[in-house]
Amino acid sequence: MRNRFQGAGVAAALAAPLTVISLVSTLRGQPVQSVQPVEAPYQAPRTADGRPDLNGIWQALGTAHWDVESHAARPGSVVALGALGAIPAGLGVVEGGEIPYQPWAAAQKQKNLDNWLAADPAVKCFMPGVPRATYMPFPFQIVQTPEFVLMAYEFASATRVIYMNKPDFESPFDTWMGHSRGRWEGETLVVDVTSQVGDTWFDSSGNFHSDAVHVVERYTAMSPDALWYEAEIDDPNVFTRPWKVSMPLYRRLDRNVQLLEFKCVEFVEELMYGHLRKQPNK
Amino acid sequence: MSEVTWMRTKLTFVLAGVAGLVVVTARPVPAHHAFSAEFDADRPIHLEGTVKKMEWINPHAWVHIEVAKPDGTTETWMIEGGTPNTLLRRGITKKSLLPGTKIVVDGYQAKDGSLKGNGRDLTLPDGSKLFLGSSGTGAPNDGRDPTEQKKPKK
Amino acid sequence: MAVMTLASLAPLPASPQDTWTPARTPWGDPDLSGVWDFKTLTPLERPSELSGKDVLSDEDAAEYERETLRSLDKDRRTSDGLTAEQDVRNAYNQFWWDYGTKLTEDKRTSLIVDPPDGRVPPLTPEAQKRADARTAALQRPAHGPEDRTVWERCILGLNTGPPMNPSVYNNNVHLFQIPGTVVILTEMAHDARVVLMDGRPHLPGDIRQWRGDSRGHWEGDTLVVDTTNFTGKTSFRGSGAEMHLVERFTRVGAKTLLYEYTIDDPKSFEKTWSAAIPMTRTEEPMFEYACHEGNYGMFNLLEGARVQERTKSK
Repeated sequence: MRNRFQGAGVAAALAAPLTVISLVSTLRGQPVQSVQPVEAPYQAPRTADGRPDLNGIWQALGTAHWDVESHAARPGSVVALGALGAIPAGLGVVEGGEIPYQPWAAAQKQKNLDNWLAADPAVKCFMPGVPRATYMPFPFQIVQTPEFVLMAYEFASATRVIYMNKPDFESPFDTWMGHSRGRWEGETLVVDVTSQVGDTWFDSSGNFHSDAVHVVERYTAMSPDALWYEAEIDDPNVFTRPWKVSMPLYRRLDRNVQLLEFKCVEFVEELMYGHLRKQPNK
Repeated sequence: MSEVTWMRTKLTFVLAGVAGLVVVTARPVPAHHAFSAEFDADRPIHLEGTVKKMEWINPHAWVHIEVAKPDGTTETWMIEGGTPNTLLRRGITKKSLLPGTKIVVDGYQAKDGSLKGNGRDLTLPDGSKLFLGSSGTGAPNDGRDPTEQKKPKK
Repeated sequence: MAVMTLASLAPLPASPQDTWTPARTPWGDPDLSGVWDFKTLTPLERPSELSGKDVLSDEDAAEYERETLRSLDKDRRTSDGLTAEQDVRNAYNQFWWDYGTKLTEDKRTSLIVDPPDGRVPPLTPEAQKRADARTAALQRPAHGPEDRTVWERCILGLNTGPPMNPSVYNNNVHLFQIPGTVVILTEMAHDARVVLMDGRPHLPGDIRQWRGDSRGHWEGDTLVVDTTNFTGKTSFRGSGAEMHLVERFTRVGAKTLLYEYTIDDPKSFEKTWSAAIPMTRTEEPMFEYACHEGNYGMFNLLEGARVQERTKSK
């Protein structure tokens, strides 16, 4: 949607040569996955305040939510679900291929994976944290204003507010969706996420972090209906170095699309509290 | 009596009943019916312990304290508080209640008999309320020093 | 002193801000955005002892406020006359609570402005049956999570409805505006209610949602939000699945947003009813209210119920 903002010249100036470089180096740094050539970097339409307009409903495809590393197809943990509970193969979204765990952490990851059904916080409808919320198999909505960018996730009605004008605002406590401060770098929305609790995972394969995790996300429009998403993860308690996931996010183009409710607390009450239910004969 | 005085008298009389009504109907505290369900009015507790950690979580914060028993061993209790968001808005932070702080808990034990209670009244050993600053009296002292004489901040 | 009736709801009469006009978004709509605090000591329903009095004089209001704060003071204990049960229910110290210290600026005795008696209209028999069932479930040792309120289950917030209604803490909402959409983000239970304004119809009737489904449009400078498609698993003072909720948001001052709602639910209430709640701009941030992730209380109350049953049956 074109806006009335008169500053087309400003917008062009904002789309610095840096944008081309950062897009190109990003694409170079990852294993062969799709994506478009970068001769003519895409510039999204502008919002009223002259920023790339990222408003809309977006969703990731692929299997990152199952396993961010590359993986063959494998059986699921619920026999009765048959093929529909099995896990499809995926090329992985981790740049460089493997998550650089410290030795103790690699062992912990394996324990998590072996026990994932009982241990995965998302199974219990806990909010997924960042970046996992981005690539859950559910849409999310970006609501972009000059001062705040709201991200509303369909999964568990998770939400977070990105503060665009408060670079010094620290969070007084740790939260499930973290504390987000954002800024624009040309065409890219850069979001610095701190103060996340250590209880969320990156996927359903036991990939985890501590409460020291620091995530820096980058959202860049690739085309009218796709964003390129990156998240750099830094956690000196768990990993030997920072590492990155990246993937496209696709605009949901369905007729009359809107976020619907997935308030999954109701769906997990039996799982979590069923053993405490009143038994019929008592 | 002047009309004003009569009004005041009537209102005072009315308010004695209204106050109860406000609590029960106009300001129901449904969130804390859960407290009646969780904690036992017949099992009051009074504990003096040392903070091990505080969980700054919703819907209710929890303070874990270590309590010395007469036989010299210790046991760990979980004490339920309110929403931390209210404290945070008052400027109270995680640093306001550090591990190692001695606190006094007056409350009621969990109905299942476990070592959990609600922190009906949380105080420091000197008798002052934890997280001073109730009823809008202004910014609290941050409780960093449990031996600090509590004075209202200017 | 102006009484808030439906007829006078927008704009507020007789204020020093007569000439105040709201700022506009770049695309020309009134700017409602920001964080709004809706705590107040004015109760939803007029206490029966104050019937006939829709507003209080300044003096009476001050006395009411004092008396209410005294009786609500959570640091009062059994030594102040409370029973042990009341003491347990008061839960924790005053410093955890944040329900306000003042009535609305116009000193109203109820947030309900219609019907004129300031009270929720009588329930229909079917709504009364539902209400009685809910009360019975809450009063017994819980059989399961479904016996408890939706906020104890951490499905929705305590004050978020919809409609929003002041409660004992965290009475905050953050409004976001972009062309064609308004989002109502309530602090409690981190819920983002997306209000689509492109004229599309509501969701089909077979899609029911805990928050309903909201559509919006402007009437002059008032945002009107129309919400239907409730599940029947929520109840706002007795409402049911067929509630048709109309909310109105109007900036009435630099720091004030007037929030009004009308509940049209003939299957549940004998008549429609409306309330008006002033909201005050705050520069404080909202904080995450991740409820389900920390809900020890649900485990505790269910465990407590089962232990009590075992003890009784011995």
